[in-house]
Amino acid sequence: MQVEAYVPGICPRSEALVQATRDLDRGRTTQEAVDEQVERDLAELVSAEQAAGLDLLADGMIRWQDHFRPLLDAAEGLETGALTRFLDTNTFYRAPRATTGDPKLSAPLGERYVAPLPGPRLVTLPSPFALAQGTGIPPKVMAEGVLKPAMEGLDAELVVLAEPFFVRDDGAKLEDLADALEALAGGPKLALWLEFGDAGPALEQGAADLPVEGLGIDFYATHPEDLPEAFGKLLLAGVVDARSSVPEEPRELAAFAARLGERGAERIALVPNGDLQYVSAPIAQEKIARLGKAKTATTEVAA
Amino acid sequence: MGLNFLTHEIGSLAKPPWLVKTSQGRELDPGDVEHARTWGEKVGVEGHEELVESLERGNADPDEVARWSSRYCVRLQESAGLDVIWDGEQQRSEMYAWAIAHANGFEPRGTVRSFDNKYYSKSAAVGPVSLREPYHNEEFLFLQSVAKARLKIPITGAYTLAVWSYDEHHTPKEGRLGAGYGRKQEIDARRELTLDIARNLIRPNLEALIALGADWIQIDEPGASTEGDELDLFVESFNVSVEGLDCFFSTHLCFSDYDLFFPAIERMSGCGQYCVGFANYDRRELGTSGADRPGYEVISKFRDLPYDPILGLGVLDIHTDFVESPELVRDRILYAVDVFGDPARIHVCPDCGLRTRSWEVAYDKLRALVEGVHRAEEALTRTTV
Repeated sequence: MQVEAYVPGICPRSEALVQATRDLDRGRTTQEAVDEQVERDLAELVSAEQAAGLDLLADGMIRWQDHFRPLLDAAEGLETGALTRFLDTNTFYRAPRATTGDPKLSAPLGERYVAPLPGPRLVTLPSPFALAQGTGIPPKVMAEGVLKPAMEGLDAELVVLAEPFFVRDDGAKLEDLADALEALAGGPKLALWLEFGDAGPALEQGAADLPVEGLGIDFYATHPEDLPEAFGKLLLAGVVDARSSVPEEPRELAAFAARLGERGAERIALVPNGDLQYVSAPIAQEKIARLGKAKTATTEVAA
Repeated sequence: MGLNFLTHEIGSLAKPPWLVKTSQGRELDPGDVEHARTWGEKVGVEGHEELVESLERGNADPDEVARWSSRYCVRLQESAGLDVIWDGEQQRSEMYAWAIAHANGFEPRGTVRSFDNKYYSKSAAVGPVSLREPYHNEEFLFLQSVAKARLKIPITGAYTLAVWSYDEHHTPKEGRLGAGYGRKQEIDARRELTLDIARNLIRPNLEALIALGADWIQIDEPGASTEGDELDLFVESFNVSVEGLDCFFSTHLCFSDYDLFFPAIERMSGCGQYCVGFANYDRRELGTSGADRPGYEVISKFRDLPYDPILGLGVLDIHTDFVESPELVRDRILYAVDVFGDPARIHVCPDCGLRTRSWEVAYDKLRALVEGVHRAEEALTRTTV
């Protein structure tokens, strides 16, 4: 069993960046000063990931206001809609709204939103299903018109497609998601990250056969027995609870990874069960450190 | 006919730069002092020259400056023409943090994003909850001495405090991973925390305010619909908080799928008014038909509640600098009156607190609200003559 660890998704901002962005909104500081603090936050996050021994580095999407904003700002035919609660959290996002039936992104987002990193990296983007949610645009059209161009020339070991809505949508069809993911093939390796929810029903529908390299599952909401035996994909095992303030016990995570291995999962990446931005920066850093310790402990557990 | 729609604010207003900087020990610039001078003159704050002088001297006491800020916000709302007011929560840190800071049983856990560049401090419940000291008494007594208009006290509700907190006391620290720790256990844990807060933090605080003469208390529950399957708990916590107390209680709901509240709030008969944000979901074009007012589609459900509560109709989108025209406010009110059939069951208010807007924008919006109310009153009077 091969075990890795990394941190996809949006990470929390430091208290200094929180203050800087508040000041920016109130005209008390400059964009340059905020940019400098973003760089400090990024450096600190990368340092924490390196210290934890994570296998792929991620930029924590520090500049992203939510899962969609830079894409909505950059793409023709998309705009920000109503302020909408993100699942059952106290965090809100501007829901995507389509102004045409065929939205287009003309160029990748650039380094402002996908930061260069000092090592092999993963990049998180919204899944085509999530981006299409509520817009009336089919996920496949979003994939072809917006996400495919966003991945053009992207230098990443893995692109994680964050998908918080699919497992909570009783009417969602796996075929629509599969078609959209198929349209993204040919670029970097892809993983679909089913955040914050019970993936059991989706797995029962055949989510393990989706055309992606990896599948992310929240094991705080999903029973491990719902994972198909001899799971052949890279399993992004959501073992750190991104909505709990309590740092996890590394040996408990390692023991759980071993349990997944016993079910036949051969390639496991320990990840949070959703974006770490639902805890504060110091707690997130502690959770990252423990993720790394859990990865190390898997070797000891195996021994 | 003598129609008169009661108008009121919801709670928060932005803190002025001279308060923020004084509180943080930062140096003021001339523009900050000018802000205090200009607004003092504009909304008629008696004796504001005293504040201006102390700001110019640079030795202003932060607590005293906060009280000045309360005076400014009171006059701002009175000057805009509102009937029922508060002080924009100028003396509180923030609606969640202020309550938690005066409670036992919580520890801070840092800052989490609400949206965009807006954040909130989040704490964890770590033990039994109790009231350290009544935390709105001082501001209520102060505002009683300052306000000319009627007062309505906003106080953060038990469910919102619970759902905005981590729970390290009732939720197991280990053993949840892969154990099928399900929703039932989560809801059971939340129920314990929420009712603990309702009984031991909110209720004694309400009792203290009522003893001082408070006659309208608004229980703010922006988090009420966070969990679709916990609405019964929200209702239970409201009832536990207010049952048997002699006061007019209202609640404020915002930025939610309001359909979720039904039928749960049919059992919340202690709530005399629901003030609810609708404008955020509405169109900006004029018109009084259902098609013109999609953001207000759900209001018939509030009309049909078995205990006939008043609807505090949110007519100002607080997340944009767009200033609603009086005609747009008028049409939103006329539509609501048409649906309710009884103007006496309609009050008019912003969607939510205006703290994310500048005072300039907030003032213009509130004046448009009041002017829109007058136009609605005129229109309805004409049709009934």
